[in-house]
Order: sequence, then C-alpha cells, then structure tokens
Amino acid sequence: MGGYFSRLLARLWGEKEVRILILGLDGAGKTTILYRLQIGEVVTTIPTIGFNVETVTYKNIKFQVWDLGGENHYSPYWRCYYANTDAVIYVVDSIDRDRLSTSKEELHAMLDEEELREAALLVFANKQDMVGALTSAEVSDALGLSTLKNRQWSIYKTSAVKGDGLTEGLDW
Amino acid sequence: MMNSDSSLSIKDSTYAVSTVVKSIMTDFRISRPNFFSTPKKGENYELRADLNSEYRDRRKDAIKKVIANMTVGKDVSGLFPDVLKNMQTDDLEQKKLVYLYLMNYAKTQPELVILAVNTFVKDTDDSNPLIRSLAIRTMGCIRVEKIIDYLCEPLRKCLRDENPYVRKTAAICVAKLYDLSPNLAIDNGFVSTLQDMVSDANPMVVANAVTALAEINETSSTKDIFIINAPTLTKLLVALNECTEWGRIAILAALAEYKPADSKEAEHIVERVVPQFQHVNGSVVLSAIKVIMIYMRSIKNDEAIRQLVRKMAPPLVTLLASAPEVQYVALRNINIILQKRPEILANEMRVFFCKYNDPPYVKLEKLEIMIKLANERNIDQLLSELKEYASEVDVDFVRKSVRAIGQCAIKISEASERCVNVLLDLINTKVNYVVQEAIVVIKDIFRKYPHKYEGIIPTLCQNLDALDEPEAKASLIWIIGEYAERIENADELILTFLDTFHDENFQVQLQLVTASVKLFLKKPQSAQNIVQRSLQIATSECDNPDIRDRAYIYWRLLSTDPQAAKAVVLSDKPPISVQSNAISSSLLEELISNISTLASVYHKPPETFLGRGRFGADAVQRRAIEEQEEASRESPIQAQTKTNIENLLDLDFSDTNTVNSTTSSLPSSSKSITQPTANVDDLLDLFNDNTITSTQSSSNIQNNSVSNDLVNLF
Repeated sequence: MGGYFSRLLARLWGEKEVRILILGLDGAGKTTILYRLQIGEVVTTIPTIGFNVETVTYKNIKFQVWDLGGENHYSPYWRCYYANTDAVIYVVDSIDRDRLSTSKEELHAMLDEEELREAALLVFANKQDMVGALTSAEVSDALGLSTLKNRQWSIYKTSAVKGDGLTEGLDW
Repeated sequence: MMNSDSSLSIKDSTYAVSTVVKSIMTDFRISRPNFFSTPKKGENYELRADLNSEYRDRRKDAIKKVIANMTVGKDVSGLFPDVLKNMQTDDLEQKKLVYLYLMNYAKTQPELVILAVNTFVKDTDDSNPLIRSLAIRTMGCIRVEKIIDYLCEPLRKCLRDENPYVRKTAAICVAKLYDLSPNLAIDNGFVSTLQDMVSDANPMVVANAVTALAEINETSSTKDIFIINAPTLTKLLVALNECTEWGRIAILAALAEYKPADSKEAEHIVERVVPQFQHVNGSVVLSAIKVIMIYMRSIKNDEAIRQLVRKMAPPLVTLLASAPEVQYVALRNINIILQKRPEILANEMRVFFCKYNDPPYVKLEKLEIMIKLANERNIDQLLSELKEYASEVDVDFVRKSVRAIGQCAIKISEASERCVNVLLDLINTKVNYVVQEAIVVIKDIFRKYPHKYEGIIPTLCQNLDALDEPEAKASLIWIIGEYAERIENADELILTFLDTFHDENFQVQLQLVTASVKLFLKKPQSAQNIVQRSLQIATSECDNPDIRDRAYIYWRLLSTDPQAAKAVVLSDKPPISVQSNAISSSLLEELISNISTLASVYHKPPETFLGRGRFGADAVQRRAIEEQEEASRESPIQAQTKTNIENLLDLDFSDTNTVNSTTSSLPSSSKSITQPTANVDDLLDLFNDNTITSTQSSSNIQNNSVSNDLVNLF
C-alpha cells in the first residue's frame, strides 16, 4: 500500500529526467543551441566557463540538457559529467574545416569513456546558415562516424541561429 | 583503460584480503587500479550515485546528506564535481546548500572551481536580488586565485546594482578581493567605487562600504584609502542613526579615527553620537563611548564636557545588567574610563556591589572599580560591604576584599581608622586566611600612617602561631622590627623565628635578618646575641645570594659605624600610595582609543598581542611549516623522521617495504625527539621570563639557577 503511494508521489513530483550532454569544440554553438531549445530564442552568449544546465520539455519528456564549456583546457573536465548520461549531442562547426580533425579526436576520446558506453550520439553539423558550410555527409566522413561500432548515432545539419534542424534531431 | 580494469577489480575485492595482497605481488597490472580508482563502496560512492540521479528530489536529498556530513567533519571533498553539477537550479534552497559546500571545499579543488564560474556569472544576472547577492557573496568567499579574474565583471555589475542589498554585499566583496589581490581591486576601480559608495543613499550600503574601506585601509601600505572629509562626515552621521548595529559599530569606529577640525565640530559630532547610548547592543554603546572619550580631548567647552560626563553614566550602568561576560568586558572598559575621568561614575558606587551569584572574574573587577570610586562620602557604605565580602566562602575573593579594605585606608586618610577597626574585627574572626591577609594589609597601613595605630600590635602578635604563609609572616616580622621598642618581647618573638630559619621562605628570611638588625639598633643590650646569630646563619648557612649579601652589608655596616647603620636602617621611608594597577598616561590614551576592543579588556596596546602583519589561516599554516623546517635544521634526526612522514604521506606503493620499516621505527623516535626539544623550549621561555621579572626578588634567581642547570643538561 505504502509502495503504491510512494510510486504515485514519485509520478507526481519525482519525474524522471533524460540527461543529455551538449559537447563540442569552443565556438561551435553549444550554448546557443541550448537556449534555442529551451526558450526558442537566440541569446547572445559569451564563452562558457564551466557549464550551463537547463531543463527542456519536448513532447512531454523532460530533458536535462547540459552544455559544457568547449575551450581546450576544459575538455578534461567533461569527464565529470558523463555519469548517467542518456545521449550526447556533439556539435560541430561546419565551416571550421581546419579544426575538424581536432573535433574528431575529442569525439573519439569521449566515446571511449566507459560511462558513455550506453549513450546515444547525435551530431549536429551546425552553422548551416553560413556560406561555405560542409554538408552533413562531409562532416560525417571527417569525424569518421561510420567507423563507430556498437553505437546508435545520427547526424543532422542545423543552424542554431535560424533554428533549423534542431527539433528534427530531437525527434530522432 | 583504468576504468575497465577497475571493473575487473570489483570481483577481486570479494576475495579474502590475503589473496588481494598476493595479487599485488603477482599480477601488478590488474591490481594496481585498486588503489587509484575511486572506491566502489562506502557512503561517498552512494552519495555520488544519488547526486547524479535522474530524479530531482533524490539529488536534493543527497546534497543535504553531503552538507550534513560536512558539518560533522567528514571529508566529502571528493564529491566536489558531483555537487557542483547541481549548482544550476531554480530551487533556492538547493542553491544555497551547494554554495555552502562550495565555500567550504573550493580550496581543496582549486582546479575544478572554474566549472562554477559560469553559474556565478548567470546568477549575478538573475532577476532575484537575493540570488544575485548570494552569488556575489559566495564568489567573494571562494579564495582561489584562478577564478578572481572572472570575478571582476560580475562584481562590477553588482556594485552598481539597483538593489541596495546586492550593493552592500558587493561592497564587502571588494574588501575580500583586495585581500587576495590588491592591484586587481585598484586597477578595476573597485576601491574608488567603494569610496563613492560612502555617499550612497542607503545607510546599509554606507555602513558596509565603511567597513570594507576601513579593512582595506588597515592592510594597505599607504593608509590613504579611507580618509573622512566634510561631505562624507555628514553622510556617516546621517547613516549612523538608520543602519543595523553592525553598521553603527563600523561607522562609530570610522568616526573614532577622524580628527575634528575644532572644538565646535567635535561638539557637533558628539551631539549626533550621544543618541547611540540608547542602543540595546553593548558594543554599539561602548563604541559610542569610545568616540566621545576621544572627541572630549578636542572639546574646549567645559560646560559641554560636564554634560557629556553626566550623560555617560547611565549607559555604563545599564551595561552592568547584561550577561556576566558582557559585564566583564564593560567593567574592564569602565576601569580605563575611570582612570581618565573618575567623575563619571562618582555617584554610582552602589551598582558595582557584587551580587552573590556573580562569577568570580566579575567580582574581582568590581572590587577594583569600587576602590577607584571610593571617597569620603561613600566609604562607610563600602566598608560594610567589603566586610560582608570578607565572610564569604570564595577564598580568593575574600583575600581581595581584605586587601581592598587596606587600599581604602591608604587612599582615604580620614577613613583609615574605620578601616583598621574593620580589619581588627576580621582578625578576631580567627579565620586563618582572613587573619593572614589582614596582617599583610595592616603592614601597608603602618607604612602609610607610621606611629598611629601601634595599639593594635599586641592583637597582631597574638595571632603569630596561626601564620603559615610567607607573606603574612614576613609582614608581621617587619612590624616587629619596625616597632621593636614598643614590643616588650620582640627579642623572644624574633628568637622563635630564628630557630626555624632554615625552613622559612626566602621572603621571611630577608625580613628576619632586617628585623634582627633593627631590634639590635633599638635595643643594643638585649639583642646583641640575636643579631649575631641571625647574621651568622644568613652568611654562612644560607645559599641564597640575596640574603647572604644583605647580611654581609649589615655586618659590615654594624662593625664599621653603628651610627651610620642607624641612619641607613632606621631612616624614614617614603610614603606609599594605593598600588592599584594604574596605567601610564600614554598607555591610557592609547587604550581609550581602543575601547570596546580586545586591547581594552587586556589593558595592553594591540601591538603587544597582535602580530605585525595579519594572521590568516594561511599565515598560521606557513608559520607552522617554517617552524617545522627550522626544527629539522636543528636536529638532523628529526629531519630524518620528517622525511619518513613525507614518505608516508606520499603513499608510494612501489616501495612498500621501506615505508613499513620506517613506520615501525617512527612513533618511538619521533616521540623521543620532540619531547625534549619542547621541554627545552619551555625552560628557555621560563628563563627569559625570569630574567625580565627578577628585579629584586631572589626566588626568581633561585629559579633561574635551576633552569640554568636544566638548560645546561640538555
């Protein structure tokens, strides 16, 4: 009987949240994506030192979305956030061709982590609104996504500024 | 890689300990992560899981548990990143808890604190002023060099916040930043902003700006950061009546530093400060009194001073109605104030009477003040009160009371006879310690009023056998020597003492030698034997240099020129006055400037008990390390043990054997080394103290020689 009530209470207040991490190199647009998802507006961002976390409700599912600072020397701290993560959104700056290889290294290093073995991977090829952006196929090749084994993954081309492709990504 | 290995090691941990130990030797690759990966069991592990839970309420409970563990002293610093992750939340309670955690453990994880910066920046932009100030306060409390650069921007914003609560919090934060990095605070214009904030519209902001500026001014090398001028003075005086008690204390402290231009200005400021006497907080009252005591120096108008003096009595009296601890502080301060302006409480003797349930420290302070307040008008009241105290049970208090009676007698000559009568009454009670103390006091009265109360000598001599304390004995012997011509059996009395000369305290021995010489000079015929005997004993059988030397001098004097001896030994003595612990006037002025601080309780200038620099936790730690290094330089063996300790701390498992061997030897060796050095230090201290205090008393010299020997021994 008590168990029944506590389950009921849990359903009322203790809603389970799906934990999503947004990662990527600095300047890829992670914070912009986060606030685009949450409030539907483009906010002016400053480089994130540390992290942002917001709760996004999409189709009655609560997503706890973590946006982590992307600058080089913070990426070691990403590790602290891996526990209990359901999905990783990896944001790539599609016009920054020079750093695609760095982006690839970071991605693969991250996916090797034990705690992320179960997590799904969603890659956003961001900044599609800019001229000269790589297509999603090109980004996929550059990141070597096809070599990933035992991993659910998908790639979408997005534009955080315009808001294109974000909901499609979440639908997946 | 390490993590995947550690999952294997979970299985290992189910084996018996011995197998694990064996596996250390055999399979190095698998077992090594056992030591380095985080433990998979225990409370912290469970808390970590909860902190990362998908459920909001479970995370919050986990945070509460972590804080609870923190407050009982368990180390939860390992959960730092996990707690930090819960920092961004709409739940104010949870945010406060995480901030609390952060303040406590930021020092242990300086690298990770940077993860919190973004949250701080966001929170200082929050629409809720409470959250804005909470964030800025917490940022100020995190004393990690790495993040102070990021602190500047939010601080600048908050200093100009529209909400006074945020502004006042930010003001204090500037002082904290200055402490960590003075240049940063000045270069960013924070200090000048703070100076502008003294003119803020909100009194709380003014008060905090004043507090912060005063703090900064104290640490700054130039001391020119906080200077009160006419406009700020008006602002301060306006704010004074409107802010909280802490703000008032800060403003009063700032006013105390101000030098009024002329008597008129001083009177004006004093007029604005006087209403603070009504405040409930004792510290505010004392601070106000301090300000007024200081400003009275520059007030030339006698009438105004008379009025101020009259106004100061009631608040001081009110302070005596508070808790004993506050009373003590008040009494110590009153003690100083009375030395400067005795007229303040001249009519208030009654409030200083001790209550039966006063703690001893309050009683003793009250006694001192009562003696200070004693005059011809209230002496009768005081004497009956003191007589009452002398029949209480607390020996220490009784002694002090008896002594106080003597001091009254010396202070007020008109009342001396009444005092002596009270003392005689007390002697007749035959209570041992009362009698002894009374005799000591009467000796002083005899010094002050020679040949006035000789009639009581027989009564004193009756109590000869009851005396067992050196001071009382010495006093009585002094009296016998001084009035030898009036005491018929003086020679007998001295003789009885001489029999036990060796067993007496040095004080008594000295008085005996002197008394026998006086006796001889007054009654040469009958006392020749006595003086010869006492000098003989003192010179040949006594090993105390003071006594021996004095005896030699008497001997030489008597043998060369008895007339000269008479002139020297029986000369008129300079009159004595009350030896209350009076403070020199320069020190008194300094103490008055420090009323309501520790200095006024100690009756010592602040420099004597405060270090030159300020001692934070860091400085203390640094000092401890320096001391340790010094000690290790002194003894190489200790250095050896120190390195052993370091080895242990390193926990380097590659050389387990050597560590084990050193641990076994460590406890015994370290104990045996540190103990003697500590002893030597103690003794050296003792030695130093003694050389300073040994002015005339030879007991110290005796002690000296003992400690000398001991020092040599080591």
